[in-house]
Amino acid sequence: MDNAGYTTLTRQSGLLREIQVLAHNVANLSTTGFRREGLVFSEFVRQLDREEEPLSMAAANAHQTYLVQGGLTMTSGTFDVAIEGEGFFRVETSEGERLTRAGHFTPNAEGELVTPDGHRVLDLGGAPVFVPADAGQITIARDGTVSADGQPLAQLGLVVPEDPSSLRRASGVLHSVDGETRPIENPVILQGFLEESNVNPISEMARLVAVQRAYESGQKFLDREDERIRNVVQTLGR
Amino acid sequence: MRALQIAATGMSAQQMRVDTVANNLANMSTTGYNARRAEFADLHYQQHTRAGTISASDGTLVPTGVQLGLGTRPASVSMQVQQGVLTATGGDLDVAIEGRGWFEVTLPDGRSGYTRDGGLKRTGDGLIVTSDGFEVAPGLTIPTEARQISINAEGEVWAYFSDRVEPERLGQLALASFTNERGLEAIGSNLFVETEASGPALQSVPGEDGMGTLRQGYLEESSVDPVRELTEMIKAQRGYEMNAKVITAADQMMAATAQVR
Repeated sequence: MDNAGYTTLTRQSGLLREIQVLAHNVANLSTTGFRREGLVFSEFVRQLDREEEPLSMAAANAHQTYLVQGGLTMTSGTFDVAIEGEGFFRVETSEGERLTRAGHFTPNAEGELVTPDGHRVLDLGGAPVFVPADAGQITIARDGTVSADGQPLAQLGLVVPEDPSSLRRASGVLHSVDGETRPIENPVILQGFLEESNVNPISEMARLVAVQRAYESGQKFLDREDERIRNVVQTLGR
Repeated sequence: MRALQIAATGMSAQQMRVDTVANNLANMSTTGYNARRAEFADLHYQQHTRAGTISASDGTLVPTGVQLGLGTRPASVSMQVQQGVLTATGGDLDVAIEGRGWFEVTLPDGRSGYTRDGGLKRTGDGLIVTSDGFEVAPGLTIPTEARQISINAEGEVWAYFSDRVEPERLGQLALASFTNERGLEAIGSNLFVETEASGPALQSVPGEDGMGTLRQGYLEESSVDPVRELTEMIKAQRGYEMNAKVITAADQMMAATAQVR
């Protein structure tokens, strides 16, 4: 008898999750290399007692990372690199290799190129990139070749996961991959640029309004349902 | 309702961005100042439905699962080490570094400080010091009777006297460099000190070991680009407003929940 209420409830809790995702996207409006995330709702059908109709409920059961290109900002930093097109930089963390689009790197005290969190950046062959302290002009070519005073040092590797759906998110603008990765054919790396977050503020704000109103109408529905049941009880109880 | 806290992390991130811009703009005419930039990273993710969970009795796996992010956090506020424009001042002790390198100074507590501010001065005894009076390595003294001093690109300081034709070589100014200049700790007054992250200072002289050269009569201007800072400020302000909007929406949703009988 309370099925209408329960169905609305699944919708409401889904919307609450969605506003959390929206808040996370908006909070990361200015996070370099951040990829917008989204929830996918799907229907799940619950078989009730044999005589009754099956009940369909809404649940957020999948999660999507949108890999659309973000805008490029010029920073003129020597070790600021942005990827144009597909691909991820390879980063070594204590939990294994991770992928990232955030190219704000810097050499550490040992001269290895690291991310702001101190994870080492790996080259095409999976070795750390070493920048000598007495190097003069460092240039990073479009194909990722790092050279000091015209002498090539290493080549930044760009990879993509074999199975795009195996991409998981980790904190620190990192992604982990369950399966294999492969290097991409024609990498385009721009030195002196950083890739902005690919969150589109306008669509996030529009979605925010939609979610809020949908939630309110859900609450309104629950209200009516409550009233209806109250009436039933009163009428029958007379 | 985690959306409230998440939007709050976004607001404090934008706040920090404005603070960085404010400091950059305030230092628009500070000699040798390098613009700072705030970098952010996403916070942890909460696993609602773990990817790879079995969703049906035949062993079907959930391909992506549900991961909900918890907002943003500052990752670094680091300086963009870059060459500022050189302005001619004509001062005989105004020395700009063209290229890499830092002047080493002795701080009152005995530590070494590093600066790119080449507006040097001399004390009553003729010792070459910074504007704050800290001795510049290697501690050269200009004789009081010197008529003129000249500093060449390699940092050699020569003094000319009115009673002699040939100049006297007083010494050579030293420069230091670091593997990771962004890892230096700023202590104010254009000074930096070395940290674990910056690595030890590599002492050398101008023009050698990848060091820049010196230019007498010039000062290095601040590398702050006002146009970039202003666009950054606009973006930060709008970002702040949007996060505030999320808080309002989340609040209204909570109010709607509370009104249900």
